[in-house]
Amino acid sequence: MMNFFAPHLPLLDLIFVGTGYALSQAIVFRAGTFSVATSGFAAVGAYAAAILTVKHGFHPAAGVAVGTLLGLLCGLLLSVPLARLRGVYQAIASLAFVEIVVAFILFFEELTGGPLGFHNIPRAATTWTLFLAMLATMALLILLGKGGIGRAFDAIRQDPPVAASLGVNPTKYHVLSFALSGAIAGLFGGLDAMRNFSLTAEQFGFAILIGTLSAVVLGGRRSVMGPLVGTTILVLLPEIFRPLADYRQAIYGLLLVVVMAFLPFGVYDTIIMKLHNRRLARAGMLLPPKAAS
Amino acid sequence: MSSLVLTGVGKRFGGLQAVSPFDMEIARGKITGLIGPNGAGKTTVVNLITGVYKLSQGSIRFGDIDLTEATRHEVARAGLARTYQTIRLLPDATVVANVMIGMYRHQRASLLSQLFALPSSRAETARFRDEVFHLLERFGMTRYAEYPAGALSYGDQRRVEMMRALALKPEVLLLDEPVAGINEVEAAKLGDIFRALATEGKGMAVLLIEHNMRFVTNLCDYVYVLDSGTLISQGSAEQVVNDPVVVKAYLGDDEDA
Repeated sequence: MMNFFAPHLPLLDLIFVGTGYALSQAIVFRAGTFSVATSGFAAVGAYAAAILTVKHGFHPAAGVAVGTLLGLLCGLLLSVPLARLRGVYQAIASLAFVEIVVAFILFFEELTGGPLGFHNIPRAATTWTLFLAMLATMALLILLGKGGIGRAFDAIRQDPPVAASLGVNPTKYHVLSFALSGAIAGLFGGLDAMRNFSLTAEQFGFAILIGTLSAVVLGGRRSVMGPLVGTTILVLLPEIFRPLADYRQAIYGLLLVVVMAFLPFGVYDTIIMKLHNRRLARAGMLLPPKAAS
Repeated sequence: MSSLVLTGVGKRFGGLQAVSPFDMEIARGKITGLIGPNGAGKTTVVNLITGVYKLSQGSIRFGDIDLTEATRHEVARAGLARTYQTIRLLPDATVVANVMIGMYRHQRASLLSQLFALPSSRAETARFRDEVFHLLERFGMTRYAEYPAGALSYGDQRRVEMMRALALKPEVLLLDEPVAGINEVEAAKLGDIFRALATEGKGMAVLLIEHNMRFVTNLCDYVYVLDSGTLISQGSAEQVVNDPVVVKAYLGDDEDA
Protein backbone atom coordinates (compact mmCIF):
# COMPACT_ATOMS: atom_id res chain seq x y z
CA MET A 1 0.00 0.00 0.00
CA MET A 2 2.65 2.50 1.06
CA ASN A 3 4.70 1.46 -1.98
CA PHE A 4 1.93 2.61 -4.23
CA PHE A 5 1.72 5.98 -2.52
CA ALA A 6 5.44 6.53 -2.06
CA PRO A 7 6.12 8.35 -5.34
CA HIS A 8 3.12 10.55 -4.71
CA LEU A 9 3.87 11.52 -1.13
CA PRO A 10 5.23 14.96 -2.09
CA LEU A 11 1.89 15.66 -3.74
CA LEU A 12 0.05 14.70 -0.56
CA ASP A 13 2.36 17.02 1.40
CA LEU A 14 1.46 19.85 -0.96
CA ILE A 15 -2.25 19.12 -0.58
CA PHE A 16 -2.13 19.06 3.23
CA VAL A 17 -0.05 22.22 3.62
CA GLY A 18 -1.99 24.00 0.87
CA THR A 19 -5.27 23.10 2.55
CA GLY A 20 -3.93 24.56 5.80
CA TYR A 21 -3.20 27.85 4.05
CA ALA A 22 -6.58 27.78 2.32
CA LEU A 23 -8.34 27.21 5.67
CA SER A 24 -6.54 30.25 7.07
CA GLN A 25 -7.83 32.24 4.10
CA ALA A 26 -11.35 30.81 4.34
CA ILE A 27 -11.78 31.81 7.98
CA VAL A 28 -11.36 35.53 7.27
CA PHE A 29 -13.69 35.21 4.27
CA ARG A 30 -16.26 33.54 6.49
CA ALA A 31 -16.12 36.53 8.84
CA GLY A 32 -16.68 38.85 5.90
CA THR A 33 -13.16 40.24 5.69
CA PHE A 34 -11.44 40.56 2.35
CA SER A 35 -7.90 40.02 3.58
CA VAL A 36 -5.14 38.21 1.68
CA ALA A 37 -2.67 38.32 4.58
CA THR A 38 -2.42 34.52 4.88
CA SER A 39 0.86 34.21 2.96
CA GLY A 40 2.38 36.95 5.15
CA PHE A 41 1.40 35.06 8.33
CA ALA A 42 2.76 31.88 6.74
CA ALA A 43 6.09 33.55 6.01
CA VAL A 44 6.37 34.71 9.62
CA GLY A 45 5.59 31.21 10.91
CA ALA A 46 7.92 29.49 8.43
CA TYR A 47 10.95 31.71 9.02
CA ALA A 48 10.47 31.78 12.78
CA ALA A 49 10.32 27.99 12.94
CA ALA A 50 13.30 27.56 10.61
CA ILE A 51 15.52 30.14 12.30
CA LEU A 52 14.80 28.88 15.80
CA THR A 53 15.41 25.27 14.84
CA VAL A 54 18.54 25.72 12.74
CA LYS A 55 20.28 28.62 14.49
CA HIS A 56 19.11 28.30 18.07
CA GLY A 57 18.82 24.57 18.45
CA PHE A 58 15.08 24.52 19.20
CA HIS A 59 13.24 21.24 18.83
CA PRO A 60 11.38 21.46 15.50
CA ALA A 61 8.02 21.15 17.29
CA ALA A 62 8.92 24.04 19.59
CA GLY A 63 9.99 26.09 16.57
CA VAL A 64 6.67 25.43 14.85
CA ALA A 65 4.81 26.29 18.07
CA VAL A 66 6.58 29.65 18.30
CA GLY A 67 5.86 30.23 14.61
CA THR A 68 2.17 29.57 15.27
CA LEU A 69 2.15 32.04 18.17
CA LEU A 70 3.91 34.69 16.09
CA GLY A 71 1.36 34.16 13.30
CA LEU A 72 -1.42 34.65 15.85
CA LEU A 73 0.25 37.80 17.14
CA CYS A 74 0.62 39.22 13.62
CA GLY A 75 -3.07 38.47 13.04
CA LEU A 76 -4.03 40.37 16.17
CA LEU A 77 -1.83 43.35 15.26
CA LEU A 78 -3.00 43.48 11.65
CA SER A 79 -6.67 43.28 12.65
CA VAL A 80 -6.48 46.72 14.29
CA PRO A 81 -5.80 48.80 11.16
CA LEU A 82 -7.86 46.47 8.93
CA ALA A 83 -10.95 46.80 11.14
CA ARG A 84 -11.27 50.38 9.92
CA LEU A 85 -11.32 49.34 6.24
CA ARG A 86 -13.84 47.57 4.05
CA GLY A 87 -13.78 45.34 0.99
CA VAL A 88 -11.12 46.06 -1.61
CA TYR A 89 -9.30 48.48 0.72
CA GLN A 90 -8.76 45.62 3.15
CA ALA A 91 -7.38 43.54 0.30
CA ILE A 92 -4.90 46.27 -0.64
CA ALA A 93 -3.83 46.89 2.96
CA SER A 94 -3.32 43.17 3.64
CA LEU A 95 -1.39 42.84 0.39
CA ALA A 96 0.86 45.62 1.65
CA PHE A 97 1.40 43.59 4.83
CA VAL A 98 2.54 40.60 2.76
CA GLU A 99 4.94 42.83 0.80
CA ILE A 100 6.34 44.25 4.03
CA VAL A 101 7.01 40.77 5.39
CA VAL A 102 8.70 39.71 2.16
CA ALA A 103 10.80 42.90 2.08
CA PHE A 104 11.77 42.35 5.70
CA ILE A 105 12.96 38.81 4.93
CA LEU A 106 15.01 40.02 1.96
CA PHE A 107 16.54 42.88 3.96
CA PHE A 108 17.64 41.12 7.15
CA GLU A 109 20.08 38.81 5.40
CA GLU A 110 21.99 37.69 8.49
CA LEU A 111 18.84 36.40 10.12
CA THR A 112 16.92 35.09 7.12
CA GLY A 113 19.48 34.41 4.41
CA GLY A 114 17.94 37.23 2.38
CA PRO A 115 17.56 36.72 -1.38
CA LEU A 116 19.64 33.53 -1.27
CA GLY A 117 17.05 31.82 0.87
CA PHE A 118 17.26 29.88 4.12
CA HIS A 119 18.60 26.35 3.85
CA ASN A 120 19.51 23.16 5.69
CA ILE A 121 16.25 22.94 7.58
CA PRO A 122 15.74 19.43 9.00
CA ARG A 123 12.90 17.50 7.43
CA ALA A 124 11.02 17.06 10.67
CA ALA A 125 7.44 17.08 9.38
CA THR A 126 6.34 13.77 7.91
CA THR A 127 3.34 13.38 5.66
CA TRP A 128 1.47 12.02 8.65
CA THR A 129 2.29 15.11 10.72
CA LEU A 130 0.95 17.35 7.97
CA PHE A 131 -2.15 15.20 7.57
CA LEU A 132 -2.92 15.28 11.29
CA ALA A 133 -2.35 19.04 11.47
CA MET A 134 -4.79 19.52 8.60
CA LEU A 135 -7.36 17.22 10.19
CA ALA A 136 -7.06 18.99 13.55
CA THR A 137 -7.49 22.40 11.93
CA MET A 138 -10.51 21.24 9.95
CA ALA A 139 -12.03 19.76 13.11
CA LEU A 140 -11.52 23.02 14.98
CA LEU A 141 -13.17 25.04 12.21
CA ILE A 142 -16.09 22.62 11.99
CA LEU A 143 -16.59 22.80 15.75
CA LEU A 144 -16.43 26.58 16.01
CA GLY A 145 -18.74 26.85 12.99
CA LYS A 146 -21.47 24.99 14.83
CA GLY A 147 -21.84 27.40 17.73
CA GLY A 148 -22.20 31.07 18.42
CA ILE A 149 -18.94 32.03 16.69
CA GLY A 150 -20.11 30.54 13.40
CA ARG A 151 -23.45 32.33 13.69
CA ALA A 152 -21.75 35.63 14.46
CA PHE A 153 -19.33 35.22 11.52
CA ASP A 154 -22.21 34.46 9.14
CA ALA A 155 -24.18 37.48 10.32
CA ILE A 156 -21.24 39.87 10.03
CA ARG A 157 -20.32 38.58 6.58
CA GLN A 158 -23.80 39.02 5.16
CA ASP A 159 -24.90 42.29 6.78
CA PRO A 160 -22.65 44.00 9.34
CA PRO A 161 -25.17 46.69 10.41
CA VAL A 162 -27.90 44.10 11.00
CA ALA A 163 -25.47 41.89 12.92
CA ALA A 164 -24.64 44.86 15.15
CA SER A 165 -28.30 45.69 15.65
CA LEU A 166 -28.75 42.15 16.99
CA GLY A 167 -26.01 42.67 19.57
CA VAL A 168 -23.03 41.18 17.72
CA ASN A 169 -19.91 43.29 18.24
CA PRO A 170 -18.32 43.29 14.75
CA THR A 171 -14.85 44.31 15.98
CA LYS A 172 -14.63 41.38 18.40
CA TYR A 173 -15.28 38.78 15.70
CA HIS A 174 -13.13 40.61 13.20
CA VAL A 175 -10.19 40.37 15.62
CA LEU A 176 -11.00 36.72 16.39
CA SER A 177 -11.03 35.75 12.71
CA PHE A 178 -7.64 37.40 12.17
CA ALA A 179 -6.13 35.74 15.22
CA LEU A 180 -7.34 32.33 13.99
CA SER A 181 -6.21 33.01 10.44
CA GLY A 182 -2.78 34.13 11.67
CA ALA A 183 -2.33 31.12 13.95
CA ILE A 184 -3.39 28.61 11.28
CA ALA A 185 -1.16 30.18 8.62
CA GLY A 186 1.73 30.41 11.12
CA LEU A 187 1.32 26.72 11.97
CA PHE A 188 1.31 25.55 8.36
CA GLY A 189 4.09 27.98 7.48
CA GLY A 190 6.21 26.34 10.17
CA LEU A 191 5.28 22.85 8.94
CA ASP A 192 6.00 23.91 5.37
CA ALA A 193 9.51 24.94 6.46
CA MET A 194 10.02 21.57 8.16
CA ARG A 195 9.03 19.75 4.98
CA ASN A 196 10.90 21.59 2.29
CA PHE A 197 14.57 21.80 3.49
CA SER A 198 14.74 25.45 2.38
CA LEU A 199 12.71 28.67 2.23
CA THR A 200 12.78 31.64 -0.09
CA ALA A 201 11.07 34.97 0.44
CA GLU A 202 9.50 34.94 -3.04
CA GLN A 203 7.46 31.80 -2.44
CA PHE A 204 5.46 33.75 0.17
CA GLY A 205 4.79 36.59 -2.25
CA PHE A 206 2.41 35.88 -5.07
CA ALA A 207 2.85 32.11 -5.30
CA ILE A 208 1.15 31.16 -2.02
CA LEU A 209 -1.17 34.17 -2.10
CA ILE A 210 -2.66 33.34 -5.50
CA GLY A 211 -2.61 29.59 -4.91
CA THR A 212 -4.50 29.99 -1.65
CA LEU A 213 -7.08 32.37 -3.07
CA SER A 214 -7.67 30.09 -6.07
CA ALA A 215 -8.09 27.05 -3.85
CA VAL A 216 -10.77 28.76 -1.77
CA VAL A 217 -12.62 30.15 -4.79
CA LEU A 218 -12.43 26.82 -6.60
CA GLY A 219 -13.40 24.59 -3.69
CA GLY A 220 -15.82 26.76 -1.75
CA ARG A 221 -15.68 29.64 0.68
CA ARG A 222 -18.20 28.62 3.30
CA SER A 223 -17.63 24.99 4.10
CA VAL A 224 -14.57 23.56 5.77
CA MET A 225 -14.31 20.88 3.06
CA GLY A 226 -14.19 23.49 0.28
CA PRO A 227 -10.53 24.47 0.81
CA LEU A 228 -9.49 20.78 0.82
CA VAL A 229 -11.37 20.09 -2.41
CA GLY A 230 -10.00 23.24 -4.07
CA THR A 231 -6.42 22.57 -3.02
CA THR A 232 -6.60 18.95 -4.13
CA ILE A 233 -7.83 19.96 -7.57
CA LEU A 234 -5.12 22.61 -7.90
CA VAL A 235 -2.33 20.25 -6.85
CA LEU A 236 -3.46 17.32 -8.99
CA LEU A 237 -4.43 19.20 -12.15
CA PRO A 238 -0.89 20.02 -13.29
CA GLU A 239 -0.04 16.32 -12.89
CA ILE A 240 -3.05 15.18 -14.86
CA PHE A 241 -2.42 17.70 -17.60
CA ARG A 242 1.28 16.99 -17.70
CA PRO A 243 1.05 15.65 -21.30
CA LEU A 244 -0.29 19.04 -22.37
CA ALA A 245 3.03 20.57 -21.38
CA ASP A 246 3.00 24.22 -22.39
CA TYR A 247 -0.78 24.51 -22.32
CA ARG A 248 -1.00 23.62 -18.63
CA GLN A 249 -1.17 27.19 -17.39
CA ALA A 250 -3.79 28.06 -19.98
CA ILE A 251 -5.95 25.10 -18.95
CA TYR A 252 -5.51 26.08 -15.33
CA GLY A 253 -6.69 29.64 -15.99
CA LEU A 254 -9.57 28.47 -18.13
CA LEU A 255 -10.74 26.09 -15.43
CA LEU A 256 -10.80 28.87 -12.82
CA VAL A 257 -12.87 31.10 -15.10
CA VAL A 258 -15.30 28.27 -15.90
CA VAL A 259 -15.75 27.38 -12.23
CA MET A 260 -16.35 30.99 -11.24
CA ALA A 261 -18.89 31.42 -14.03
CA PHE A 262 -20.85 28.20 -13.50
CA LEU A 263 -20.17 27.22 -9.89
CA PRO A 264 -19.96 30.64 -8.23
CA PHE A 265 -19.86 29.15 -4.73
CA GLY A 266 -17.05 26.73 -5.59
CA VAL A 267 -17.19 23.06 -6.51
CA TYR A 268 -17.93 21.64 -3.06
CA ASP A 269 -20.28 24.33 -1.74
CA THR A 270 -22.38 24.30 -4.90
CA ILE A 271 -22.85 20.52 -4.68
CA ILE A 272 -23.83 20.76 -1.01
CA MET A 273 -26.33 23.50 -1.79
CA LYS A 274 -27.89 21.47 -4.61
CA LEU A 275 -28.22 18.44 -2.32
CA HIS A 276 -29.84 20.60 0.37
CA ASN A 277 -32.36 21.96 -2.11
CA ARG A 278 -33.15 18.49 -3.38
CA ARG A 279 -33.78 17.32 0.18
CA LEU A 280 -36.15 20.22 0.74
CA ALA A 281 -37.94 19.43 -2.51
CA ARG A 282 -38.34 15.81 -1.54
CA ALA A 283 -39.79 16.80 1.82
CA GLY A 284 -42.34 18.87 -0.11
CA MET A 285 -40.94 22.10 1.25
CA LEU A 286 -39.83 23.57 -2.03
CA LEU A 287 -43.07 25.21 -3.10
CA PRO A 288 -42.97 27.87 -5.77
CA PRO A 289 -41.47 30.35 -3.30
CA LYS A 290 -43.24 33.60 -4.17
CA ALA A 291 -46.65 31.94 -4.06
CA ALA A 292 -45.99 30.33 -0.71
CA SER A 293 -47.99 32.73 1.43
CA MET B 1 -41.67 49.84 34.97
CA SER B 2 -38.81 51.21 32.92
CA SER B 3 -39.63 53.12 29.79
CA LEU B 4 -37.43 54.36 27.00
CA VAL B 5 -37.16 58.11 27.50
CA LEU B 6 -35.90 60.54 24.88
CA THR B 7 -35.13 64.05 26.15
CA GLY B 8 -34.50 66.92 23.76
CA VAL B 9 -33.25 64.53 21.08
CA GLY B 10 -32.34 66.18 17.79
CA LYS B 11 -30.23 65.48 14.71
CA ARG B 12 -28.39 67.80 12.36
CA PHE B 13 -26.82 66.62 9.11
CA GLY B 14 -24.31 69.37 8.38
CA GLY B 15 -26.37 72.58 8.34
CA LEU B 16 -29.68 70.77 7.98
CA GLN B 17 -31.73 70.18 11.13
CA ALA B 18 -33.20 66.80 10.12
CA VAL B 19 -35.01 66.32 13.43
CA SER B 20 -35.68 69.23 15.76
CA PRO B 21 -35.23 68.52 19.47
CA PHE B 22 -38.22 66.65 20.88
CA ASP B 23 -39.21 64.57 23.91
CA MET B 24 -40.71 61.11 23.69
CA GLU B 25 -41.57 58.30 26.06
CA ILE B 26 -42.02 54.75 24.89
CA ALA B 27 -43.72 53.10 27.83
CA ARG B 28 -43.59 49.45 28.78
CA GLY B 29 -46.83 47.57 28.29
CA LYS B 30 -48.03 50.10 25.72
CA ILE B 31 -47.93 50.49 21.97
CA THR B 32 -46.62 53.92 21.08
CA GLY B 33 -47.21 55.15 17.54
CA LEU B 34 -44.99 57.39 15.46
CA ILE B 35 -46.64 58.71 12.33
CA GLY B 36 -45.95 61.37 9.76
CA PRO B 37 -45.80 61.88 6.01
CA ASN B 38 -42.94 60.56 3.89
CA GLY B 39 -39.62 62.14 4.76
CA ALA B 40 -40.89 63.38 8.12
CA GLY B 41 -37.89 61.80 9.87
CA LYS B 42 -39.55 58.74 11.42
CA THR B 43 -36.84 56.28 10.45
CA THR B 44 -34.22 58.83 11.52
CA VAL B 45 -35.72 58.68 15.01
CA VAL B 46 -35.31 54.88 15.05
CA ASN B 47 -31.75 55.24 13.80
CA LEU B 48 -31.02 57.73 16.58
CA ILE B 49 -32.43 55.40 19.22
CA THR B 50 -30.53 52.36 17.95
CA GLY B 51 -27.13 54.05 17.69
CA VAL B 52 -26.95 54.10 13.88
CA TYR B 53 -26.69 57.91 14.03
CA LYS B 54 -25.04 59.89 16.77
CA LEU B 55 -27.31 62.37 18.52
CA SER B 56 -26.64 66.07 17.83
CA GLN B 57 -28.62 67.10 20.89
CA GLY B 58 -30.36 65.55 23.86
CA SER B 59 -30.14 62.21 25.64
CA ILE B 60 -31.73 58.77 25.66
CA ARG B 61 -32.27 56.73 28.80
CA PHE B 62 -33.66 53.26 29.29
CA GLY B 63 -34.30 52.68 32.97
CA ASP B 64 -30.90 53.08 34.60
CA ILE B 65 -29.01 52.74 31.33
CA ASP B 66 -27.80 55.80 29.45
CA LEU B 67 -28.00 55.03 25.73
CA THR B 68 -27.04 58.51 24.50
CA GLU B 69 -23.60 57.45 23.29
CA ALA B 70 -24.26 53.73 22.86
CA THR B 71 -23.18 51.87 19.72
CA ARG B 72 -25.56 49.60 17.84
CA HIS B 73 -24.57 46.39 19.54
CA GLU B 74 -24.65 48.01 22.99
CA VAL B 75 -28.20 49.18 22.28
CA ALA B 76 -29.17 45.65 21.30
CA ARG B 77 -27.53 44.17 24.40
CA ALA B 78 -29.50 46.63 26.54
CA GLY B 79 -32.67 45.01 25.21
CA LEU B 80 -33.79 47.10 22.24
CA ALA B 81 -34.68 45.29 19.03
CA ARG B 82 -35.75 46.73 15.71
CA THR B 83 -37.09 45.75 12.33
CA TYR B 84 -36.29 47.59 9.12
CA GLN B 85 -38.50 49.51 6.75
CA THR B 86 -36.93 47.63 3.87
CA ILE B 87 -36.49 44.02 4.93
CA ARG B 88 -32.93 43.11 5.85
CA LEU B 89 -32.49 39.38 6.26
CA LEU B 90 -29.45 37.23 5.60
CA PRO B 91 -30.85 36.01 2.28
CA ASP B 92 -28.72 32.87 1.84
CA ALA B 93 -29.11 31.66 5.41
CA THR B 94 -32.06 29.47 6.36
CA VAL B 95 -35.01 30.87 8.29
CA VAL B 96 -33.80 29.09 11.43
CA ALA B 97 -30.28 30.51 11.03
CA ASN B 98 -31.68 34.01 10.58
CA VAL B 99 -33.73 33.84 13.74
CA MET B 100 -30.93 32.11 15.66
CA ILE B 101 -28.72 35.17 15.30
CA GLY B 102 -31.30 37.07 17.30
CA MET B 103 -30.53 34.77 20.24
CA TYR B 104 -27.02 36.20 20.40
CA ARG B 105 -27.90 38.47 23.31
CA HIS B 106 -28.59 35.44 25.49
CA GLN B 107 -25.37 33.65 24.66
CA ARG B 108 -23.44 32.80 27.84
CA ALA B 109 -21.04 30.06 26.71
CA SER B 110 -17.41 31.20 26.93
CA LEU B 111 -15.37 31.85 23.81
CA LEU B 112 -13.25 28.79 24.57
CA SER B 113 -16.32 26.62 24.94
CA GLN B 114 -17.59 27.93 21.60
CA LEU B 115 -14.25 27.42 19.85
CA PHE B 116 -14.18 23.72 20.69
CA ALA B 117 -17.95 23.17 20.77
CA LEU B 118 -17.77 21.99 24.38
CA PRO B 119 -20.96 20.59 25.94
CA SER B 120 -21.99 23.95 27.45
CA SER B 121 -21.88 25.61 24.03
CA ARG B 122 -23.68 22.73 22.34
CA ALA B 123 -26.41 22.65 24.99
CA GLU B 124 -26.90 26.37 24.50
CA THR B 125 -27.21 26.02 20.74
CA ALA B 126 -29.76 23.23 21.20
CA ARG B 127 -31.77 25.36 23.62
CA PHE B 128 -31.71 28.32 21.22
CA ARG B 129 -32.95 26.05 18.45
CA ASP B 130 -35.89 24.97 20.58
CA GLU B 131 -36.79 28.57 21.33
CA VAL B 132 -36.51 29.49 17.66
CA PHE B 133 -38.94 26.70 16.77
CA HIS B 134 -41.40 28.02 19.36
CA LEU B 135 -41.26 31.39 17.62
CA LEU B 136 -41.70 29.74 14.23
CA GLU B 137 -44.78 28.02 15.57
CA ARG B 138 -46.23 31.25 16.89
CA PHE B 139 -45.87 32.86 13.48
CA GLY B 140 -47.00 29.73 11.59
CA MET B 141 -43.65 29.41 9.82
CA THR B 142 -42.46 25.96 10.96
CA ARG B 143 -42.62 24.45 7.48
CA TYR B 144 -40.16 27.03 6.14
CA ALA B 145 -37.59 26.39 8.88
CA GLU B 146 -34.84 25.10 6.58
CA TYR B 147 -35.75 27.34 3.68
CA PRO B 148 -33.33 30.07 2.53
CA ALA B 149 -34.87 33.30 3.83
CA GLY B 150 -34.31 35.17 0.58
CA ALA B 151 -36.60 32.82 -1.32
CA LEU B 152 -39.67 33.46 0.85
CA SER B 153 -42.56 35.69 -0.13
CA TYR B 154 -42.49 39.29 1.01
CA GLY B 155 -44.94 38.81 3.87
CA ASP B 156 -43.09 35.77 5.15
CA GLN B 157 -39.79 37.64 5.04
CA ARG B 158 -41.39 40.33 7.22
CA ARG B 159 -42.38 37.60 9.67
CA VAL B 160 -38.85 36.23 9.75
CA GLU B 161 -37.51 39.70 10.50
CA MET B 162 -40.04 40.08 13.29
CA MET B 163 -39.13 36.69 14.77
CA ARG B 164 -35.45 37.63 14.64
CA ALA B 165 -36.17 40.80 16.63
CA LEU B 166 -38.26 38.81 19.11
CA ALA B 167 -35.50 36.23 19.54
CA LEU B 168 -33.60 38.94 21.44
CA LYS B 169 -36.45 38.82 23.96
CA PRO B 170 -36.30 42.59 23.86
CA GLU B 171 -37.78 44.95 26.38
CA VAL B 172 -38.25 47.59 23.72
CA LEU B 173 -39.40 46.65 20.22
CA LEU B 174 -39.06 49.20 17.44
CA LEU B 175 -41.13 48.33 14.39
CA ASP B 176 -40.43 50.37 11.27
CA GLU B 177 -43.53 50.02 9.05
CA PRO B 178 -44.04 46.34 9.89
CA VAL B 179 -47.21 45.88 7.83
CA ALA B 180 -46.17 47.79 4.72
CA GLY B 181 -47.15 45.70 1.71
CA ILE B 182 -49.15 43.20 3.77
CA ASN B 183 -52.89 42.78 3.18
CA GLU B 184 -55.38 43.88 5.81
CA VAL B 185 -56.32 40.45 7.11
CA GLU B 186 -52.68 39.51 7.65
CA ALA B 187 -51.94 42.96 9.09
CA ALA B 188 -54.72 42.54 11.63
CA LYS B 189 -53.21 39.21 12.69
CA LEU B 190 -49.84 40.89 13.19
CA GLY B 191 -51.59 43.67 15.10
CA ASP B 192 -52.95 41.07 17.53
CA ILE B 193 -49.43 39.74 18.01
CA PHE B 194 -48.08 43.26 18.72
CA ARG B 195 -50.84 43.83 21.25
CA ALA B 196 -50.01 40.54 22.94
CA LEU B 197 -46.31 41.40 23.04
CA ALA B 198 -47.03 44.69 24.78
CA THR B 199 -49.38 43.26 27.37
CA GLU B 200 -48.32 39.62 27.94
CA GLY B 201 -46.02 38.77 30.84
CA LYS B 202 -43.72 41.61 31.81
CA GLY B 203 -44.79 43.41 28.67
CA MET B 204 -42.67 45.14 26.08
CA ALA B 205 -42.48 48.78 25.15
CA VAL B 206 -43.49 48.80 21.49
CA LEU B 207 -42.84 51.68 19.10
CA LEU B 208 -44.83 51.38 15.90
CA ILE B 209 -43.89 53.50 12.91
CA GLU B 210 -46.67 53.39 10.41
CA HIS B 211 -48.31 54.97 7.39
CA ASN B 212 -51.56 53.08 7.63
CA MET B 213 -53.75 55.39 9.74
CA ARG B 214 -56.44 52.86 10.48
CA PHE B 215 -53.88 50.38 11.73
CA VAL B 216 -52.37 53.03 14.02
CA THR B 217 -55.65 54.29 15.44
CA ASN B 218 -56.83 50.77 16.19
CA LEU B 219 -53.64 49.69 17.86
CA CYS B 220 -51.75 52.54 19.49
CA ASP B 221 -52.21 53.75 23.06
CA TYR B 222 -50.34 56.96 22.42
CA VAL B 223 -49.31 58.61 19.17
CA TYR B 224 -46.60 61.10 18.19
CA VAL B 225 -46.85 62.97 14.89
CA LEU B 226 -43.74 64.11 13.06
CA ASP B 227 -43.73 66.49 10.10
CA SER B 228 -40.56 67.74 8.37
CA GLY B 229 -38.50 66.67 11.38
CA THR B 230 -40.66 68.53 13.90
CA LEU B 231 -42.98 67.01 16.46
CA ILE B 232 -46.31 68.68 15.69
CA SER B 233 -48.73 66.74 17.85
CA GLN B 234 -49.10 63.98 20.42
CA GLY B 235 -51.85 62.33 22.42
CA SER B 236 -54.27 59.45 22.14
CA ALA B 237 -54.95 58.19 18.63
CA GLU B 238 -58.34 59.91 18.65
CA GLN B 239 -56.95 63.27 19.79
CA VAL B 240 -54.21 63.19 17.19
CA VAL B 241 -56.45 62.26 14.28
CA ASN B 242 -58.77 65.13 15.10
CA ASP B 243 -56.00 67.65 15.69
CA PRO B 244 -56.37 70.29 12.94
CA VAL B 245 -52.56 70.69 12.68
CA VAL B 246 -52.21 66.99 11.94
CA VAL B 247 -55.08 66.95 9.51
CA LYS B 248 -53.48 69.82 7.62
CA ALA B 249 -49.92 68.45 7.64
CA TYR B 250 -50.50 64.77 7.31
CA LEU B 251 -53.91 64.07 5.91
CA GLY B 252 -54.28 67.16 3.76
CA ASP B 253 -57.83 67.55 2.46
CA ASP B 254 -58.20 63.89 1.63
CA GLU B 255 -60.28 62.32 4.39
CA ASP B 256 -59.46 58.68 3.69
CA ALA B 257 -55.69 58.99 3.49
